[in-house]
Amino acid sequence: MSRGLMVLAVVGALGALFLFGLLRGEPDRDIASARLGKRLPDFELPVHARFRTDYGSTFEFESEALGRPLVVNFWATWCIPCRDEAPVLQAAWRRYGDRLTILGIQTQDPGRVAGGLEFIDEFGLTFPNLIDERSRVSIDWGLFGVPETYFLRADGTLAYKHTGIVNEAVLDERIGELLQ
Amino acid sequence: MRHDRRRMQSLTGYRRLHHLRPGLRRPSFQRLGPLALLALMTPLLLLAGSAAAQAPSARGDQIDARTFEIADKLRCPVCVSESVAQSSSEISLEMRQIIQGQLEQGRSEREILTFFQERYGDWILLEPPKRGLHLLVWLLPAAAALAGSAALVLLMRRWLRASREPIEVDENDLKRVRDALSEHG
Repeated sequence: MSRGLMVLAVVGALGALFLFGLLRGEPDRDIASARLGKRLPDFELPVHARFRTDYGSTFEFESEALGRPLVVNFWATWCIPCRDEAPVLQAAWRRYGDRLTILGIQTQDPGRVAGGLEFIDEFGLTFPNLIDERSRVSIDWGLFGVPETYFLRADGTLAYKHTGIVNEAVLDERIGELLQ
Repeated sequence: MRHDRRRMQSLTGYRRLHHLRPGLRRPSFQRLGPLALLALMTPLLLLAGSAAAQAPSARGDQIDARTFEIADKLRCPVCVSESVAQSSSEISLEMRQIIQGQLEQGRSEREILTFFQERYGDWILLEPPKRGLHLLVWLLPAAAALAGSAALVLLMRRWLRASREPIEVDENDLKRVRDALSEHG
């Protein structure tokens, strides 16, 4: 290989690296959960006031005692995409609520329990919603941010974790897999 | 009781003092013993008290320092390019509290890092683990440095060899150079 070609190859490689750095934008947050295929840690959290009549004051999650599939959505009052997906989750709860449980968890949102209730009322959410005031469950479940949605099989193992806003197509596809 | 008294005298040095100064009236142990003991124990008690008062604070400082040291090895899950130690996000604050709590329970750094690794995977570690694909991160710079050094050595050897070889010069050119030098010299 002539010297000119070698120089050209090196400059080309460096240029490609530079372009990749410029074009790749924000770091990818869609990282597969380290808990995929495994059971998630158990927890006990307070239930939002709106649901206490039906579900009691605290909700106890035991991965071994699920019995039916579970979809867990983490949200916060300050999170704009959470507002977009709340009606989609409510619609899914109406469609699949007899075959699986949908659980909402307000997290990474300290001191905004009242705001959380307003959020629930605004979107008319009827599936149970919990308060993760200190974000301990968020850490235990390896959450990167909000919104994130976890799809758990009836045996308590994690089938899939969706990072970012969840739409109807994703919900239908993933819930369909859980119900098979 | 007699045995105890002798031991006490030996401890306080009283007996030796008494032998060196035979004229001195030997005071009874009942009178001086407790005083000597008090004199000996007071600084010890003060020291112990001071150490006890300082111990929790010193231990607390040590745990704080270790907390930040470990937090600096973890990536903040909701930030960009910030460690859990650097970040002021609510989740990083909570993670630091978890680290502190685990340190207080006597857990090692390895155990604490594993705790977060189990939840977030290798992504959470700012320093990639030295195994699997991550090994490339550690080995590639070393391999590049080795290859660079080897290339440099080879090039230098070639340059040195070339410098030692006699230069072939045309006789006419050599004469022209010599003439030019003698003209200016």
